[in-house]
Amino acid sequence: MPDTALVAEDVRKVYRIRGGPDVVALDGVSLTVRSGERVGLLGRNGAGKTTFLKIASTLLRPTSGTVTVFGHDVGTVPERVRPLIAVVPQEGKPFFHLTPREQVYTYLCARGIDRATARSRTAEAIGQMGLEEVADRLSITLSGGQRQRTMVATVIATEAPLLFLDEPTIGMDPFARRAVWASLRRLTQRGSTILLTTHYLDEAEALSERLYIVERGTVLTAGTAEALKRGVGGTVRVSLTGGRPASALFATFGEGVADGDTLHVVTQPERLNEILALATRERLPATVGPVTLEEAFLRAVGRSIDEE
Amino acid sequence: MRSEPALPTLPPALFRGLGAFFATELRVQLHERMAIVTSITVQVVLLIFVRILAPGLWSVALFGAVIFSFFTLGQRVLNEAAYIRVDHRLNQLYLASPLTPESYFLGLSLGVLVAYLLPIGVLVAVAVVTVPAPAILWVALPFLALAVFAFSASIGYIVSTQFRDMRAIWSYASLLYNFFGVLPPVFYPVGDVPSAVRVPVLLLPPSGASALLQSFLGTAHLTGGEVALTTLALAVESVGALVLAMIWARRTVQEA
Repeated sequence: MPDTALVAEDVRKVYRIRGGPDVVALDGVSLTVRSGERVGLLGRNGAGKTTFLKIASTLLRPTSGTVTVFGHDVGTVPERVRPLIAVVPQEGKPFFHLTPREQVYTYLCARGIDRATARSRTAEAIGQMGLEEVADRLSITLSGGQRQRTMVATVIATEAPLLFLDEPTIGMDPFARRAVWASLRRLTQRGSTILLTTHYLDEAEALSERLYIVERGTVLTAGTAEALKRGVGGTVRVSLTGGRPASALFATFGEGVADGDTLHVVTQPERLNEILALATRERLPATVGPVTLEEAFLRAVGRSIDEE
Repeated sequence: MRSEPALPTLPPALFRGLGAFFATELRVQLHERMAIVTSITVQVVLLIFVRILAPGLWSVALFGAVIFSFFTLGQRVLNEAAYIRVDHRLNQLYLASPLTPESYFLGLSLGVLVAYLLPIGVLVAVAVVTVPAPAILWVALPFLALAVFAFSASIGYIVSTQFRDMRAIWSYASLLYNFFGVLPPVFYPVGDVPSAVRVPVLLLPPSGASALLQSFLGTAHLTGGEVALTTLALAVESVGALVLAMIWARRTVQEA
């Protein structure tokens, strides 16, 4: 298998809107996903994540730039790419008049997988997603979370070399989300590669080996969750509440972000005693915690918005 | 430790996955028993009216109902394709896979066709019992019906790819349904239309097929030239629409 699963080079996508201005959904996105990696795309709504996934999964043509999947250009030879990929579409739903078992099994058959393998993989995927009890009920009778699990089961059962998952755990309870995470980790251990989008930052951190933060069609920053958090300027977050603390007073400790009555200051552990002493003198209640990926995300995207 | 599976290679094939996707769609459709049972409601109601008001038109209306039923199956393809794409987004699941776009379109269409054959079979059975039709009609009927279905399903699929909202689709589906299926002489004699519109009527697949059946029944007189024109038009339109829809299916994957 090639070392690189996906390479995107300077991908632009402009939607021509009849009677309105053009919408630039992607504005020069370049990224690489290595074989066997789990990579997350983070971004606000409308940042371009789904557009990128659609292009990479052969469902949309880029306006310019190229995306190759295992060396095949998705724009010029999509038929070579399609056997290598599987997609969980955003807000996708299974056929309401199929049961989860039928949905997974018939999809595998449509992909050309032989019946015996399809049956065993269906049983495995249904089990992994915790759908045994509802496996033979029509999907129309299932909850939103169960339907979403059916979609994920359908795609993980393919064991395709490259999986695209657009918000795969949306609407799922915490147990189901963790079951999905475990299945995706298992798949990459078997050699599959995963590119996913999510708005759950805990999920992105738990699941992705590398992350790309996308905003307004461009990649703002990329790296491991740890690297992105380090980029915030510290590893400790001190939250000072009450009395609208003056950010200037704490500016020497690190970057501060006001959130209502609270000021969040990101600083280094060695300055913790100092900032807590100042907070005590100013009679400001303070809580201390680690910097989260959400912090890194908000700051990266927030800086980009400020620059605009 | 990560294993290193080999990349799957599949031979290029235009209809890869057709059988499996047809079986999927058939299974989906067969779960909708009520829709299947009620699929010929309009036709049955019209036939009751004809039986009461104009019993002399019974044979025309009955074979018209069969043709109309195949035409409306194409409209079901429109609705099903749009529903899968707009509401379920399953087209993305299936089209970003080894299943070819041609198989996706044909599998969906054939699944609808086969699922809804039984009620149409009831209409045909009634015709067998109540209408003394010549052998040529029974030979021609399956070809004409399939040609009408191929045309209707193809147009339906193409139209289904043009919209992002089901409510917008319904109005266009209604327009197609009434313009091609209800307005022209499918249920009534082709001889009753003004001569100025006779040729366009013969060129429209549902009314053309119905006109040919009426000529076999002896309830309408078509000249040799008209029979040839109608037959040729139906063949070209149905095959042409089918080919166009397959090309369209492939072209539109990348704007799914």
